[in-house]
Amino acid sequence: MNTNPMFVSGEALSLESGELSYTQLIQLSGLSESDLAALVDDGVLQPLDPRASTWTFASHHLVVARTACRLRRDLELDAHAVSLLLRFIERVDALEAELRQLRAQMPGWR
Amino acid sequence: MKYKDYYKILGVERNANDDDIKKAYRKLARKYHPDVSKEKDAEEKFKEMSEAYETLKDPEKRAAYDQLGSHAAGQDFRPPPDWFQQHAGNGSTFEDIDLADLFAGLAGGRRARASGERARASVPIPGQDYEAAVRLPLQQAFDGTEIELDLTVPEYNDQGFLQRVPRRIKVRIPRGVTDGQKLRVPGKGGKGVNGGRDGDLYLDISVLDHPLYRVSGSDIYMDLPLAPWEAVLGTSVDLPTPAGTVQLKVPAGTAAGKRLRLSGRGLPRPSGPAGDLYAIVQIAVPTVVNDRERTRYRELAEGSTFNPRAHFAAEIASGAGRGAP
Repeated sequence: MNTNPMFVSGEALSLESGELSYTQLIQLSGLSESDLAALVDDGVLQPLDPRASTWTFASHHLVVARTACRLRRDLELDAHAVSLLLRFIERVDALEAELRQLRAQMPGWR
Repeated sequence: MKYKDYYKILGVERNANDDDIKKAYRKLARKYHPDVSKEKDAEEKFKEMSEAYETLKDPEKRAAYDQLGSHAAGQDFRPPPDWFQQHAGNGSTFEDIDLADLFAGLAGGRRARASGERARASVPIPGQDYEAAVRLPLQQAFDGTEIELDLTVPEYNDQGFLQRVPRRIKVRIPRGVTDGQKLRVPGKGGKGVNGGRDGDLYLDISVLDHPLYRVSGSDIYMDLPLAPWEAVLGTSVDLPTPAGTVQLKVPAGTAAGKRLRLSGRGLPRPSGPAGDLYAIVQIAVPTVVNDRERTRYRELAEGSTFNPRAHFAAEIASGAGRGAP
């Protein structure tokens, strides 16, 4: 193996602000157009303006869309099963965040 | 090249049929998929089983894999002399190829043979996205930092085959990243082929525990121990915060458990106001006291009318919390 590493540098972007176009979300997540439409139908992904002729999404939807793409491909699920699973993952994440907050408030917790 | 026993990884016999292989993979995938699993090493295990399944579910790849023979896992081996010519249509060397890349490349080789090199050259293939876990001390998460990542990643060589190459990537991390956050570094994943876009690098951030601070989202919590007399009389303390020391006024009569909020002293946010810092009051008592101190405490005990358990009797008498007779 070549042992001299190629050196590159870049800027890490937060996904908590900014927007992505429909095309960008498809490209960056790897989701197909029909899967993206199913996830929007199921309310897992919400366009900023659902009535707009071309959808745009808040950037943080990319994390959900990439997870959806992995679950669809790796577990060989249909898009609606992925939606259901994402709902559960969202609930687990919310409960874990609540647990972290409660622990952070406990004096002496490590 | 190191041998990997794909059958053993999936827990099936070498003569397992396609259905057995699919069932074994699905069962393991439900257990180890990194997006749903809390198992230790889930990511590593899932990567291994995906690689095994990708090869064994494809009859042509499986036949090619079977022709490599059976060896001990991790053992160095060389495939039969004409193996590469037969399956990949290319006389490339095996020396520095990972088994996963070799079989991933077979699909490309097949496409090339089916449609001709010219057609293959015209199809843009986007670069792979890379993922890396980044563990940051709280202070670096607060301030922002620059990190260097050493990754070994699959990239296409001049012959169009995947090979592992070392990459060192310097990344600027913005200030205020939080535990569990994902960051995207555009264009720093795998190189696109035939004009396909370059992949992205995704960073999974975790923030290391700190001896003083506990983080929840963008808020920071810390204990503030006070001596009993400080809590009774009030005081002013120097409080170390990630942004530097601040002077905190503690009002007289501050009880244990009270949260004193320092607005905007938590982690910065990319948009909107910074989180808050909460100092949670604890009443610390000396475990060793000298004779003079003991005398003073006794005088205080005898002279004070304060009863911290006064509400016990009142609440018992009112019957609060009792069920109906």
